[in-house]
Amino acid sequence: MWTVKKEKIDLDSVFVEHGCAESALATRVLRALPPDVPVTHVADAREASRPISGASDPFGAGKRRLVIARRKTPFLMPCPAGSSKFACCGYLVLTLASNCPMDCSYCFLQEYLADNPAFQLYANYTDSFDELDRLAANAHGRSFRVGTGELADSLAFDSLTSISRDLVEFFAARENLTLELKTKTDEIENLLDVDPRGRVLVSWTLSPDHVYRTSEHLTASPAARIAASRAVLDAGYRVAFHFDPLIAYPNAERDYLLLIDQLLDVVPPKQISFISMGGLRMTPRLRSAARSRFPDDPMLCGEDVLSSDGRFRTFTPLRLSLYRALAERFKKAGAEIPTYLCMEPESVHQHVFGGSPDRPATIGQRLARA
Amino acid sequence: MTADIDQQIRTLAVERRLPASHLARWLAMDPVSRAAMLDLVRTLRLRTGQLVTALDTLDEITVREHVTIASVLDRPEIRRIANGSGSTPSRASALLEALRTFRYPLLKKMQEQLRSEVSALKLPRGISIDLPQELGSDELTVSLRVRTGAELTQMLEALDLRRTGLTRIIEMLGGKRGR
Repeated sequence: MWTVKKEKIDLDSVFVEHGCAESALATRVLRALPPDVPVTHVADAREASRPISGASDPFGAGKRRLVIARRKTPFLMPCPAGSSKFACCGYLVLTLASNCPMDCSYCFLQEYLADNPAFQLYANYTDSFDELDRLAANAHGRSFRVGTGELADSLAFDSLTSISRDLVEFFAARENLTLELKTKTDEIENLLDVDPRGRVLVSWTLSPDHVYRTSEHLTASPAARIAASRAVLDAGYRVAFHFDPLIAYPNAERDYLLLIDQLLDVVPPKQISFISMGGLRMTPRLRSAARSRFPDDPMLCGEDVLSSDGRFRTFTPLRLSLYRALAERFKKAGAEIPTYLCMEPESVHQHVFGGSPDRPATIGQRLARA
Repeated sequence: MTADIDQQIRTLAVERRLPASHLARWLAMDPVSRAAMLDLVRTLRLRTGQLVTALDTLDEITVREHVTIASVLDRPEIRRIANGSGSTPSRASALLEALRTFRYPLLKKMQEQLRSEVSALKLPRGISIDLPQELGSDELTVSLRVRTGAELTQMLEALDLRRTGLTRIIEMLGGKRGR
């Protein structure tokens, strides 16, 4: 049964590119959508993806249009957040959709997708399996962690697309590939009746209730995310958690530590594959866009200063003290949970964990096997 | 009365070439805040850049603290500056600094703690320590000014004697709680 989560996906229009209408994906999506949403068939979907000129909130308006098209560029790419300045985790990104029906005030997509904000679903997504097989064939004993949650939430469209079933079945049969489904939803229904054979991780971004209420619009509550993680764990999936963005608002440390306690009450530390942490970071353009769309959100007015990489971040000692507090709490929980920091330099790893991080390939492999 | 205040704000905005977005934000304030801001701008003769910075900072303070701009401008620190005896330009600068302290309370406190740690090192002439700008990184800059080999030896020994204090500063930059 297809369930359209109408509270999240509220569409004014759907555009289907020529050649995609008969695809399995388009068939599933169009069947699941309410019949009163107008569907237009277009020769080239690029125009439909662009921002509506004159809209007061072009990015928000983009979230009311859905485009089904062929992806003409590779599906697989290195994580765009990677940089030689940072100690990276070796994450590979599989782009099967673009933009997200949820609307977190701090979301980097507000800048990254400013020029094509419509939801895009790629009708030829099974072509990505050929790319993945080529990667696996050339791996020479290496393992890779591949995620679909970079330019879209991994599960937010799944009630429309059911792509997760195909993905899980594909990865379940690949020895050296691990799929990471990263989400802020609790839409796990499609996962529960497919056997991942240990090759699929489902990860949740976790934030305290306060951040959820002020900034993570249309997402599942933190408690619902934790409950969903327990359910997929019981269904044979591995689980991981991203404390990213970590936001240093007043009483943040108390709230994050409480959140960790709530998590560990439900998911034993030994069953957590890894933890990541990353402080809120915004380029000046993103900060401006976010402040303009969410002028009353206090989380966007933290004690952030311009750092050497050109992004606004919470001033360093405060940000690092928060990392340290969380790392300490997980350590006290009694299990060695692999933990990494996202978009932070090596020196920050040394301050927080007392040692240098592994090389990206090593981290990627360790996380893939964890 | 409100219409009169609004007209005065518009006139001042034209004189100062205030960006339209900032004028709109000013006019969107509650009436008491609108008037209090106008009064302060006139008293301290804020230049355009200063006015823009003040409006931006005040806006963020109100979002952070859920207070009105009038209540921020009524704080003793601001009233002291507005009614103070220094030159108008120096009071205008002091106003922006005071607003920044409200906006970044923990940063200001941390900067003070670190400066106090640096000061406690009692470094000899020729050695200077620069904290990262706005504590935007964990990088501490230690500079030596020497002319002879003997001076270099002296400086390095002086630094070595202060190793514990320097390490503490680096750890504080790295998020370890201070003393």
